[in-house]
Amino acid sequence: MSADASAATGRLAPSAPESGGVIHNIGYRRYDAARLGRAAIVRALIWHSFRAAFGIGRGAKAKVFPILLFVLMCLPAAVNAIGLALNPGSSPAVTYDSYTPQLRVVAMLIFVALEAPNMVSYDLRNHTLPLYFSRPISRLDYPVAKLVAFLLACLVMIEIPLVLLYLGIVTQVHGASQVWQQTLQLGPGLLYGAAWAVLLASIGLLLASTTGKRVFAICAIGIPLFFSYILANVLAHIGEQAFGPAGFGQPSALTSLAGLISPFTLLGGVLRWLEKPPAAGGLPVREVMQTTVGNYGPVYGAVFLILTVAAIVGLIVRYRKVGVA
Amino acid sequence: MFGHDCLTDGFVIRTLTGYMPEHDCLPPDVTATELVTHLGRMSGLPATAARERAADSLRHVGLYEERYRQIGTYSTGMKQRVKLAQALVGDPRLLLLDEPTNGLDPAGRTAMLELIARIGSEFGISILVASHLLGEIEQICDQLVAIDAGRLLRSDSVRSMTQASSVLVVEVDEGLELLQAELASRGLTPLPYQRGLLVQLASDATYDAVRDAVADLGLPLSRMEQRRHRIEELFRADPAAQVGQTTGAASVS
Repeated sequence: MSADASAATGRLAPSAPESGGVIHNIGYRRYDAARLGRAAIVRALIWHSFRAAFGIGRGAKAKVFPILLFVLMCLPAAVNAIGLALNPGSSPAVTYDSYTPQLRVVAMLIFVALEAPNMVSYDLRNHTLPLYFSRPISRLDYPVAKLVAFLLACLVMIEIPLVLLYLGIVTQVHGASQVWQQTLQLGPGLLYGAAWAVLLASIGLLLASTTGKRVFAICAIGIPLFFSYILANVLAHIGEQAFGPAGFGQPSALTSLAGLISPFTLLGGVLRWLEKPPAAGGLPVREVMQTTVGNYGPVYGAVFLILTVAAIVGLIVRYRKVGVA
Repeated sequence: MFGHDCLTDGFVIRTLTGYMPEHDCLPPDVTATELVTHLGRMSGLPATAARERAADSLRHVGLYEERYRQIGTYSTGMKQRVKLAQALVGDPRLLLLDEPTNGLDPAGRTAMLELIARIGSEFGISILVASHLLGEIEQICDQLVAIDAGRLLRSDSVRSMTQASSVLVVEVDEGLELLQAELASRGLTPLPYQRGLLVQLASDATYDAVRDAVADLGLPLSRMEQRRHRIEELFRADPAAQVGQTTGAASVS
């Protein structure tokens, strides 16, 4: 094909380029306009990666799971809205903070395990990285862009169902004060969701960037997340059964600290810690994740911060040196 | 480099450089158009310009309707072309090509070499080719830097490396041994070489001696020419040079 093209070029280039209906020789066109700066290039990479997290721009197979999971995440909000519409006056079945904890844990676990490899392992496996790093993209830009993109994808997964839930409730309540109260409750729910997104995105990407093999990456994310969640719950139960509640209604240390093991229960613990003491007369006490924190609330906050920062730093360090093939 | 400092202006220089890696570097489940457009944006092109230039550069390398198919369905030759197109998309001033004809059949190889020569001459882009296929370099390059196992062998223009040598190649259709003996008796030292003889060219008298010898024996002379140097001889001169990886880097200006 290119032989044809160059043969055509040889014939046509010197004399009449338009004659004879041969259109192969389009001539080389220079690009003289301004080029984008670093920020714009990183933005383009973020947008590209964000789309890739939902399989947009890739084959049809890549779209199945993200869309399925997203619909799954929105389902409780829809059910809640329908329930409220059918029984006016009843209280919402789903809260902003916990949403539906079991469903959210499972859905996000699958989402992170499937899509984090799509973000970073994909480029490792296909050896695409040299194409990026031979372009004006630094070794800092790439992991940061991927992290932001995946963070946005996780936010979409977590926050949009919350907003739908809010809309479903708001359309059924009466009076501005009730709408305002719902809005007040939505705020912390969104923040809590954002904390989820930050932690899951950074841990997921760090684990995924260790290997180029998709299956290995899925296991590297899925297995620790899943089993740490199970382990945290089991230890919390053992703590309750074996030691019973400590004095003054305080849970035992084992129960209180078990939640630190898994990112999911860790965040539940952070929420428990932050909502204490409950705002006077304001927000109702909500039954959130099963995490019990006891007096160890600050530990949860610290571990959350350390874990997030460590994962992000780890990801950046990971890309300081990358093998080519 | 392009009037920029290599140490401080790496960002600018990388926007003006296109790189075609030797290894496989293409994701299988995107179309060539999408990939090249995306990489064009990564080279600093705005979205519209990236789309236009991606279509252009894919057409330059000879991918037309195929560019809407997923890359996983491509043949090796088509993948090679996509790799060249992605290097070309950002309108670079310098192209770095690493083994551009890897895995191509003879026809594809010729087409690729013609395209590279055309990019150098018509598009006005400087090209640096790294290749161990010295015949290809002889075909398309102006300058050659021969590096063997990390040691610089020679850096010169290809023309000067392939200039005529002081060795005469004589081929006859039959009676090679007779001619060899005859030439030896005339004070020359003929060496058998492939299907002919090599004779050291001392002066014009050597031509006469060979002519007379062939005429006296009545042999059918089919070829007599001054042998041209070949780039491979660079590596053959030193036996130690045979060991290790051999890489020729050459440029089309």
